Order: sequence, then structure tokens, then C-alpha cells
Amino acid sequence: MLQALFQTLFRKKRVEQELDDELAAYLEQATAENLRQGMAPEAAFQKARCDLGGIEQVKENVRAIRVGVSLDILIQDVRYAIRSLRKNPSFAAITILTLALGIGANTTIFSVVNGVLLKPLPYPNPDRLITLWETHPTWGPFLSVAPANFYDWRAQTTSFEKMAALDPYPDFILTGTGEPRRLAGAAITADFFSLLGVKMALGRNFRPTEDHVVVLTHSTWERYFGARATMVGSEVRLNDASYTVVGVLPPNFSLVSKASDFQARTRFDIWTNLGLTSPPAAWQRGTHPLYVYGRLKLGVPVEQARAELDHIADNLRRLYPDDNKDKGIVAVPLEEHAVANVRTALFTLLAAVAMVLLIGCANIANLLLTRAAGRQKEMALRAALGASLGRLVQQLLTESAVLATLGSGLGLAFTLWSVPTLARHLPADLPRLSDISVDGRVLMFTTFITLATGILFGLVPLVQSRGVKLNARGVSSGQSPLRSVLIVGQVSLALVLLAGAGLMTKSLRALLQVSPGFETAHILTARFSLPPRYANGNKFGTAAHREISVFQRELADRVRNIPGVKSLGFASHPPLAGTNNNWSFFIEGRPPHPPGVYDSTDYRPVTAGYFEAIGIPVKRGRPFEARDDEDHPLVVIVNETMARQFWPTENPVGKRLRFGDQNWRTIIGIVGDVHHEGLGIAPAPEMYVPWGQVPNVEVRPIIVVRSFNDPAGLTNSLRKAVADVDPEVPMDQIATMDQLVSGSVGESRFRSIAISLFALLALFMASIGLYGVMSYMVSQRTREFGIRMAVGASRGAVLRQVVGQGARLALIGVAGGLMITALLGRLIASLLYGVKPLDATTLAGVSILLAAVALFASYIPARRAANADPMDSLHYE
Amino acid sequence: MQEPELLQGTLDLLILKSLALDKMHGMAISRRISQITDGAFKVKAGSLFPALHRMEQAGWLSSEWDESETRRRSKFYKLTRTGRGRLQSESQRWERIALAMASALLST
Repeated sequence: MLQALFQTLFRKKRVEQELDDELAAYLEQATAENLRQGMAPEAAFQKARCDLGGIEQVKENVRAIRVGVSLDILIQDVRYAIRSLRKNPSFAAITILTLALGIGANTTIFSVVNGVLLKPLPYPNPDRLITLWETHPTWGPFLSVAPANFYDWRAQTTSFEKMAALDPYPDFILTGTGEPRRLAGAAITADFFSLLGVKMALGRNFRPTEDHVVVLTHSTWERYFGARATMVGSEVRLNDASYTVVGVLPPNFSLVSKASDFQARTRFDIWTNLGLTSPPAAWQRGTHPLYVYGRLKLGVPVEQARAELDHIADNLRRLYPDDNKDKGIVAVPLEEHAVANVRTALFTLLAAVAMVLLIGCANIANLLLTRAAGRQKEMALRAALGASLGRLVQQLLTESAVLATLGSGLGLAFTLWSVPTLARHLPADLPRLSDISVDGRVLMFTTFITLATGILFGLVPLVQSRGVKLNARGVSSGQSPLRSVLIVGQVSLALVLLAGAGLMTKSLRALLQVSPGFETAHILTARFSLPPRYANGNKFGTAAHREISVFQRELADRVRNIPGVKSLGFASHPPLAGTNNNWSFFIEGRPPHPPGVYDSTDYRPVTAGYFEAIGIPVKRGRPFEARDDEDHPLVVIVNETMARQFWPTENPVGKRLRFGDQNWRTIIGIVGDVHHEGLGIAPAPEMYVPWGQVPNVEVRPIIVVRSFNDPAGLTNSLRKAVADVDPEVPMDQIATMDQLVSGSVGESRFRSIAISLFALLALFMASIGLYGVMSYMVSQRTREFGIRMAVGASRGAVLRQVVGQGARLALIGVAGGLMITALLGRLIASLLYGVKPLDATTLAGVSILLAAVALFASYIPARRAANADPMDSLHYE
Repeated sequence: MQEPELLQGTLDLLILKSLALDKMHGMAISRRISQITDGAFKVKAGSLFPALHRMEQAGWLSSEWDESETRRRSKFYKLTRTGRGRLQSESQRWERIALAMASALLST
């Protein structure tokens, strides 16, 4: 029937041709017949024509019949399938639910994979968009770019249609619209948006040389300016200066980036003009704030661009050895760059969830086998009554197709709920979150896996019916090799999933057991954005900090008086946020380095009291005190890694070093290491500088408040204290330290939870499968067991035999699973922290767990077998 | 002559019956039906071909292309196992109906 329908629908041409031939033959034969009856040739043909009654009409009738009959049979089969499923509602319910869960989970994970990895980037011709980075053999392969270097790249390239840069640092305090707000700003070269291919929703782009102009992100326009239609051309107050709004971005604009780009900023509210229309000053080759994008000319392959960039890098190394020694340029397609860190994790999840579906399919196939065995008499009867084998196969396939369709329908309904829900709970550092949705490609995927699963489990009973001969009573022996293969496969896959879950969970635990280097409990942090007047207009020199220090002192006095506050301090960056500053330095008394070689270290401005408040231990010397300010000798504190690295044999306390500003600073102490870049990343050399003595200006202090109990309760008091000191200072990024720690392992946690859920599902399904098969086996062999017990076998022997059979299958499955795990293990090595992919304890643990569950699953039917009354068995039949 | 109204199922049975011995093409089936009913039924192409295709799809008939007695390539139909079963059960049904009808009409 399916074949006929297929022929009718898809092989129309051939069917039509055959019909034409058939009718032409008929016409000839009818004419010949008339001739034999003595008619004149002309009349004979006419009469035949007339008898045929209009060729087109006949063809039309035949066509209608063909389609009609196909549909009739299809409807008949579907009805039959539904009727037979309704006769067995528990079978139907289990199957449909298993499929709904499996297909729903697969579709959900695929939606994420689709949005993050498969959909083209939301810009025109995304394959020509490239990210460009400086690279250095020791500092790393993807370094942000010096403005002067960018300027030269852009001037010298011929492979790129456009090259643009983004500086993610500028922050703006918006005033004049109610409460002061901090807006995350980016400074961009004028052709940044035209390079991406983004058209403004309102207004226009910058012109290259325009100053004091801004473009607003759509949400900024809505939130702070009430989506005013007259926005373009109006003035806004930013950092106490007046800016003209020239454009508003479209609502669907998003800047595709990876979590570590832009110093961990995920969004920008406002865009200003970076300029860079004339050659930058020489010092602009030694600072590296820029993220650079290029759009390749049409038809230029990225390899060609790379060759050209190598050549440009070569020139720059020669011309500017001080800054560009050993520096190269790397070009990575934006698509590749954005998802580089999550590709493995997402494909691992997809593979895991596909395994769950496979296990589910094996269960359904087993159920269908049992059903088929029960229906063999029915089938035999129908065959005897004239139903062809093909027809019976069609009916069985229709039944599994009906099951698969119902299951996937339910699964899809689940997906419509789960995808948006999941999207809200995905770790925020996953790129392209806004692209995750149920779209046409997802629906195609669902259709595909529905068909695939339907055929997969639908065909298994057929394979069985071909391979195994029926015995006289129309009942199979119960020891079917196919069932055993299915069970072994299920157990293997379940083991792989359990092993994956075990490894991920152990990795997450190892990560969380890493001490971050400070006391995380009872800490509240928040960030302030100080208006430019605090900076004193002086970008260099310690005097710039007086105003900021006054603000910090006044705020500290008020906060210290809030009930429940134990201690507090300020710092430039929160820990674990993936943000830092880096500074080169020179140690007194050491031989000078050759040009282009520097010692460099992360450095963090902090205030007196910071180490105590956050709980970083002082290992040697003393912490900063109130007197370490603008007017007192310059001092620094180093962390243990820095001490070890630069003074391996000496005590650094008392030694002196200097930064670019040439002032000598004395090391007064050593503090413990902190995992500032993330728990899984080893601490880097780090230096702390008193806020008042920092050589450049820092206007975004974070406060760290240690409380006696729940720190979140302090938020309102803190907000009030800030408003008392300066109502124009916005406060944001309010979080407890526990939240920061937890957020920093978000991706790892998500992965671990997702895989664990899948593994539990797999364990459950596989044990149900084993239970089902063993129960079936016992029910088929009740008589045999009865006879054996009647002739003297003990109950224990029967119990042992049945459990042994289940255990054998489970153990083969476990062994198979261990082998697959050994093969796949190294693929997930990059996702693991502090645990090897073949961690013996984990593998042993999950093997024992799985074996125990399997034993239990076969023990229940075994007990039923052992409790069978021998007499009943003998009376059976 | 006006073609007598065929009872529902009659045409199917006639086609099955005419194919009972050998495979035939459409024209031959039409001729055969005419012969075995003593010319009472003349099946026209407009009824014959839709019926043949329907029965083929239902799995009662199968078809193949072969040369006819006039050496013309034609589509030949023959009974399948299912079709043969169908012929048997339908024949029995018709006999019962025919007997019942006869006795009904003979009674006074």
C-alpha cells in the first residue's frame, strides 16, 4: 500500500506512461477484433474509439481510483493500528510516553545545538566575517589589538573589504532621565555596523570623524528614552557631557561573541565613535584594548587573507621591534571563534540524549517483539485467509508509524515548553542564546528522528519473524538472540551515559572543591560607576585618586555602621569574573631586558581592609593600611605565585620594582593566590596596589562587604548609604560571593546536571527493558521450570538460573559499555577538570551501580519463576 | 444494447472469474466476460480499467507486460493468492445470494 501510494505520488510519470500504453494496446486490439468481425478498417477503429468512451475520461477514472484506493488502505491500516493499540492501552501509553520523552529531549537539545552551532550568524554573508587577533608565543594566541597596529593592518590589507575595531571599555553615566544609570559602552570605528551588515532601525551610522555622537541599542532606547520617535538628533547627558544621538539599532541586533570576549561583557547599551581616522600616537602600539573584525572581499579565501596578514605582521615586527617583537596576526572566522569553547560540550549533550532515545527504541522494540509473539496466531490466521506477507508488514509498519507520530507529537508539544524554559536557564556565557528557538530546521530534525525511530523499532519484529521459525504452538522459545542483543546494547549505552555523568559530576565537584583563595560565605559585592569628575581630568599620576578615595572613605564609614556588617574593602575587579588589568614592570637591580621583552603581571587596585574583608590570607609582611595613600611611600603586595616566579630563592618583601611611570614601589607583603580567572584555571602572578597609588585612574570600584549573617539582606542599606554619599553614583552588579562562585561554574554545572538526568533516564529505561525481557522469558518457560522443580530441582536453582541469565546479559552490556567509554573517553577530556576520562573509581562505581540495578531487575521475575507451583505448570495446557 | 446495471461487486467477481485460468490483458478480459455471460454483459473500458487498477492495488491482481496474440505489447493481469481466495469466497457468497433470490422469486 505504501509502495502504491509512493508510486502514485512520486512516480506519476511512469504510471501515466504505462496507463497510456495499456489503453493504446486496448484500442488496437479492439480495432483488430472489429476487423475480424468484418467491419471496414475506418469503421472498426471508430467503433473501438467509441467503445473506449473517451481516453482522457478513462484515464481520469483510473487515476482517481489509484489514489483513492491507496488512501483507503492507509486509512484502513491506521484504523486497524489505532484499534489494536486501544485494545492494549498500557502498551500504547508506555510506548508513546517513551517516545515523547526521547524525541522531546532530543529536539530540545537539538534546538540549542541548532541555535548556537548550526544557524548562520545573524548577519548577511556571515561566512566572510573574520575576527583578527594579535598573537604571541608566550602571551597567547588570541590577544586584543593595539590601536596603532589595527590602523596599519587596515591601511595595508587588500584581502578585506572592510576592517573595524571595537573598544569595550568606555562606560557612561547617563543623567537627566531620572535615577543615574551606568551604561555599558563600546567605542567602534565608523564602519563597524556596515561591516556586519546591520542597518539602523532609526537614523544612521557615525561618520568617520564625528565626535560626541552615539548610537543606542534598541533596548536602551526603549528602557531609558521611552522609545521616543524623535530620538535621532536629540541630545543626551553622558558623563556630564552632551552627546547627539544619531541612530538606534534594530531590536534583533546582537553582537555574536564568546564569553571571554570584551573583558567578559555580554552586552553593550551605547556606542560611540572610536575615530582612528589618522595615525595614532606611538604609545598606542603598547596598549591593547581593541577587538578587530574584518569582512573578506567577495571570493577571497581566508587562507589568502592569512598569507597577507603574515606579510603585514612581518613588516610591523621589523618596524616596531619594541612593541611587536614576536607578534603575529591570526584570523579566525567569526562563526568558528564564537562557539570554539562550547562545540564539544554541546555535541556531547546531543550524543548523550540520542543514546537515551536509542535505549528507549530498544525498549519499544522489545515490547513489540513480545506483542508480535502474542499475535503470531492472529497473523497466521490472517495469512491463511489470504493476506499477503507484504500486506501484514505494511500493517505492522503502520502501527509503529502511528506510535511514532503520536509520540513525536507529544514530544514536540513538550519541546515548545522546554526550549524557552531551557533558554532562560542556560548558563549566560553560552554564545548566541538569543538564536535558540524551535524553527523549521528543528521541525525537520524531529520529523527525521520520528521516521527513523518508527522504522527502527517497527522493523525489529520483522527481522525477528524472518530469523526465527515458529514452533508448533505458534509460541517462540523465549530465548531470542535478538532480545538479548537489544538488552546488551541498552545496558552498554546506559553504562556510557552513566560513566559520562559520573565523570562530569566528579569534575564539577573537583572544581567546586578548589578553594578560590578567599572565604566565600557572607560576602556581598556591588559595583559603582563614578562620574568623570572623580577622575580629576588627570589620567596619570596618583593625584587623580583623591576624589575617589574620599568617596570610598565616606562610603566605608557609612557602611561600617550598618548593623550586621563585619568588614569591607574596595577593589577594581571582582574575583572569578574573568576580568583583569595587566601591567609590565621592572625589578630593581636586575639586568635590563632586550627590547620587546617585558616582565608583566596582573594587577589589582584595592583599599586597606580589602584582604581582611574578602578573606585573602596575608602570608608575609603586612596588608595595606589607611596610611598607604597618595601622600605616603609607594608600596605593593604580591601574590605567592608572583613571589615564587620572580624571587624563587629570595624573600621579595622589602624589594623594589617600578611600572611604566618610573616610580619605585616597595613590596611590603605576600598574600595567598586567588583563582581570579575561574576555579579551573591556575592562578597567575598578581600584584595588589593601594587604590590611591595606582598610576592610572580607576573609576569603577567594586565593594566587598563581609557580614555576620545573610549578606543579601544588606543590599538596601548599601544602596541608601551610596545615595547619601553621592546620589549621582549608580550601583549595579549586586551579588553575593556565593552567587559569583556558582555562576563561574555555570556551564560545567549545566553540563553535569543535563548528562546526569539523561543517565538516570537511561538507567531507568535499561532496567525496565531487562525486567521486561526476563519477565517474558519466565512467562514463556513457566512450564519448563515447573517440570524441573517437579523432578527435583530446588527453587534456589531456578532462581539462580534466571538471575544468572539476566546477569550474563547485563555483564556483557557493561563490558561493551566500558569498551565504548574507553573509545569515546578522550573526546570529552577537554570538558573535564581534575579527573581523567578513564577514571577507574568512576567507571567501577557506575559499573557496579548498573550491575546491581540489572540484578534487581532480573531478580523479581526470577522469584516469580521459583515460586511457580510445579503442579500448575504440569496442568498448564 | 443498453448495458445492464451491474450489481455492486459483480464486475469484480466477473473479472476474478475470467482470470481464474490464465493471465489476460484488458481487451481479452472484456471479451471473456462477454463470452462467459453469453453476451449479457459487455464491459466497457471506462468501467474495466478503473476496476482492474483498483483490484491490483487491493492486492487481488498482479500485472506484467507481455506480448499479446497480435504481438502487441500489452499489460496482462493475473490472480494473486489473495485474489484466488477472494474469488472463492465471493463465488460462494454469490451462489448463496442467487439461490436465495431464486427461491424468493419462485415462491408465491
